[in-house]
Amino acid sequence: MIAQEAQYREWMLAAQAGDAGKYRMLLTALTGHLRSYFRRRLSDHGAAEDAVQETLIAIHTHRATYDPGLPFTAWVHGIARYKLIDEYRRVKRRATVPLDEASDLFSRDETEAAAARRDVSKLLARLPKPKRRLVEQIKLDGSSVAEVAAEHGMSESAVKVNVHRAIRSLNRSVESQSIRPDSLSERNGDADG
Amino acid sequence: MRTDDLITALSEGVEQARPGALHRQAVLGVTAGVMLSAILMLAWLGLRHDFDSAIASFGMWTKLAYTFGLAALALWAMERVGRPGSDARLPLSLLALPVLALAILSAGQMAAPNADRAALVMGHSSDVCAVYIVACSLPVLAVAFWILRRRAPVSLTLAGAVAGLFAGATGAFIYSFHCTEGSAPFILVWYTLGTALSATLGACLGRRLLRW
Repeated sequence: MIAQEAQYREWMLAAQAGDAGKYRMLLTALTGHLRSYFRRRLSDHGAAEDAVQETLIAIHTHRATYDPGLPFTAWVHGIARYKLIDEYRRVKRRATVPLDEASDLFSRDETEAAAARRDVSKLLARLPKPKRRLVEQIKLDGSSVAEVAAEHGMSESAVKVNVHRAIRSLNRSVESQSIRPDSLSERNGDADG
Repeated sequence: MRTDDLITALSEGVEQARPGALHRQAVLGVTAGVMLSAILMLAWLGLRHDFDSAIASFGMWTKLAYTFGLAALALWAMERVGRPGSDARLPLSLLALPVLALAILSAGQMAAPNADRAALVMGHSSDVCAVYIVACSLPVLAVAFWILRRRAPVSLTLAGAVAGLFAGATGAFIYSFHCTEGSAPFILVWYTLGTALSATLGACLGRRLLRW
């Protein structure tokens, strides 16, 4: 579920009932999403702004086709994507349009960060639970070693050693999937020590 | 025009636009299309000569049930293809059910002892059946496009095909009041062909006529 769904849907229902104030708020909010959506997909900003305006007009003209029983964000995304395909067709630049979902329209530029977060949590899931907790608290949440040591009733050095080992084992499991030259030399160093 | 000015222009004095209005339009349109198609069929081809006795026959009800089932599912799909963010896969995949049911019935009739299989499939009107069905579907096709043009189909070819499917199945339903065939294999081959031709016609027209 997209975070803004409930708010935007409420404004849309008010707009369908003829509430100009809520409708203005809705269009203004959507413009932000649409602008970043089209700028990322169209080469120049002028074309992107035209597509934003085209989409706003299409939303306006077809506002009765939004069925309150369906997600509003999916409806807007359907229209934005249609206008994007229209634009591609007009400039005949690309025959195929990359697949995207409603969340791509409403996530702004966070897509890469989100993918990285998913990778990290997948990796962390390989650690035994107590160690995973320590790594999360210190490396991700930014807690101090002293705080974590106190919370778990461990000495500070024990916490440090555990986190260090956990990170090393994660490094190894990443290396075993994709062996790179620099990681090989690191492993040789380990064997020496 | 600046985007802010556009938003002001669009939102100032915005009028009510409730989905209910679209439903009423669709009901009105479908009713008009079916009546037009029925009048065309009666004036041009005429009711079958033995209608009074045939209305109680199994063959007549096979045709009516099959074409009505296809038309109802197609109408459901049409309701969905006109709305962005909506998915027509469920009604479209359910189309397999009436086809499968008729295929089973056909297999039963073909497997019966002493069945004249060629006659069961070809009947006596196989050369005109599909063409007449497409002809009967044209008024409904026009109305289905009129309905979809008031909506926002995001896949034009699919929307056109669904409109054609609805028109074809409805045209076949109406044509079945003229046609004197009643064997399941005949209906399976020729009624399905007529409906599919209409769907193909709709798919070809969709890209041109449904743009918005």
